Amino acid sequence: MTVFLQSLISGLLVGGVYALIGIGLTIIFGVMRVINFAHGELVMVGMYITFFAFSLFGIDPFVGIVIVIPLMFLFGAFLQKTFINRVLNALPQNQILLTIGLGLVMSNTVMLLFTSDYRILSTSYSSGSVNLGGISISEPLTISFLITAAITGALYWFLIKTDTGQAIRATAQDRDAAQLMGVNVRRMSVIATGIGAALAGTAGALISPTYYIFPQVGSAFTLKAFVIVVLGGMGSVVGATIGGLIIGVSESLSAAYVSSGLKELFVYVLFLLVLVFKPAGLLGKSRM
Amino acid sequence: MTKLLAMLAAAVVAFPASAQVKIGVINSMTGPEAPIGENLTNGIKLAQEDLEKKGVKVQLVWEDDTGKPQISMSAMEKLATRDGVIGVVGPYTSACSNAVAKLAERYKVPLLVPAAAKEEITRQGYKHVFRMNAPADQYAQVLLDAVTALGKPKTIAFLYENTDFGTSTSKAAKDYAAKKGIQVVADEPYSKGSPDYRSTLTKVKSTNPDLVFMVSYVADAILLMRQAREIGLKPQAFLGGGAGFTTVQFSAEKDISGFVFSATQWTDDVPWPGAKDFATRYKAKFGKEPTYHAACAYESLRVMAEAAAKAGGDREKLRAGLVDGKWSGVMGDVDFKDYAGFTNQNDHTMLVQQVLDGKYETVYPQQFATKKPSFPFPGWK
Repeated sequence: MTVFLQSLISGLLVGGVYALIGIGLTIIFGVMRVINFAHGELVMVGMYITFFAFSLFGIDPFVGIVIVIPLMFLFGAFLQKTFINRVLNALPQNQILLTIGLGLVMSNTVMLLFTSDYRILSTSYSSGSVNLGGISISEPLTISFLITAAITGALYWFLIKTDTGQAIRATAQDRDAAQLMGVNVRRMSVIATGIGAALAGTAGALISPTYYIFPQVGSAFTLKAFVIVVLGGMGSVVGATIGGLIIGVSESLSAAYVSSGLKELFVYVLFLLVLVFKPAGLLGKSRM
Repeated sequence: MTKLLAMLAAAVVAFPASAQVKIGVINSMTGPEAPIGENLTNGIKLAQEDLEKKGVKVQLVWEDDTGKPQISMSAMEKLATRDGVIGVVGPYTSACSNAVAKLAERYKVPLLVPAAAKEEITRQGYKHVFRMNAPADQYAQVLLDAVTALGKPKTIAFLYENTDFGTSTSKAAKDYAAKKGIQVVADEPYSKGSPDYRSTLTKVKSTNPDLVFMVSYVADAILLMRQAREIGLKPQAFLGGGAGFTTVQFSAEKDISGFVFSATQWTDDVPWPGAKDFATRYKAKFGKEPTYHAACAYESLRVMAEAAAKAGGDREKLRAGLVDGKWSGVMGDVDFKDYAGFTNQNDHTMLVQQVLDGKYETVYPQQFATKKPSFPFPGWK
């Protein structure tokens, strides 16, 4: 029972961070129909910003989020304006090549600047935990889960209540119709990419106290984010949230009950099952 | 005087003044294994300088395998056919070395593997494949020998990454544990790069093992120990099988690295000829502590180049020279022998070190020990 509860809780806490990465990807896809294959690299950039803010200026990784969010928003907006915007009407494979290329440029630039050394960010609470009836709950993961929840909540509020949020949703629903109704879809694309990048960077900041940082760390997250988004339904923010939690928990449970080396197998079998029986994803509406 | 002249003459015969040898190097210089690959690169560079001082000019042809076996194979083909090197030193990882070994045999190019652990590499009867470091089974043997000399552990749990290095090291360890009468209570391979090992560690904790044996590369070692502390895993001893548990970065994480035993090929305080001097010069040149990989690579290039200088450009003579030759240097005595199913394997003595006060101290075998080991594990701070 302890093993089950421990795995469930660890899985949920890690899944929360996965969800944040997935939401970023799904927003970008929703508004522009471009799958951002450089998403994991954005997570990586967020990790490096956090790492250097911590090691050079002593800024706590969780406090560092207030730096990471605006920087990553600007970075995302810059990427959209200079690169992605030019391929919005291009063939999907060209869009994919562009984002993959951007990812490669990012990871190799970082490698050139900071070498491929693994960086470990050690805070006083990096391996701290609270014991609750035999189950240990990781302090840094709990904090990052709470921050994730707060950010996700704020994002829902923004998307549903504010004018800009509604414009983003309108663009995601039907780009042409939104444009006809007077929505500035170009601006919405820039904002959406900025938000997506900021969320990815925040996720990077949140896991950096418990994970390690190196230039190639992104690819694993790109794949995971893609699975989460397809699982939850392309473009659905709620779907990505649920998808992230499902992936986190199923990884954790299969590691505990079958084998840690086989946990990816379970994740992908689950993924295939969802695609076979519900091709649009858990919360996806019909395909576009 | 005659003695001196004879020595001089011997030296001249051994290394003709203009001796120039062309040797290929395959290493993981970029990619995920690059942080460790860098140590090998540095070791080889230092050896090249030292050889030049001794009159052996070494021309190196560098190839980067990015840690991928298929790339290391094409690098080997290029070195053997296009560059016409007399011998090759490398690659770093077990998977790459095993792939390249086959090609070395096919092209009849002497290959000296400096630091890859997988046993099979020198167990396939290949005549052209040599290995400097002790193979994977030695990691486990020396560690279990050390802890059974200290106490009476009855159960052991295994936690290792599911790569060639991880599975072969832990398989050897399982066999040796059975021989020592230690019961295996958990056997957990994991795929590296996961942010969360807590569920696996909880499972290990629930079996209450006396020993926890882990095999991981750099960063996972720190992650595993952090999370082991989080969930309160407390065996009599943590044993780390090489790589990630023998880095300066690991020992610097004092909260989690304390009292961990690890097996290593080399330490900078071992009384082998030139080891201390090598460590000082390495640190001065590269500004980093040398790892065992650096020492293995240094000695591999030295042995290869000295044998190559005598062989005068002939690959078959070089092979014979490596088989017959004996060396003594930073890695102790080097002698490539056939034994226990191995071919051309240097029977290298492994060392056990323990992190005490944030520093690695050699604690076993006794003749090399610098400090007394601390056993059992006193618990987390």
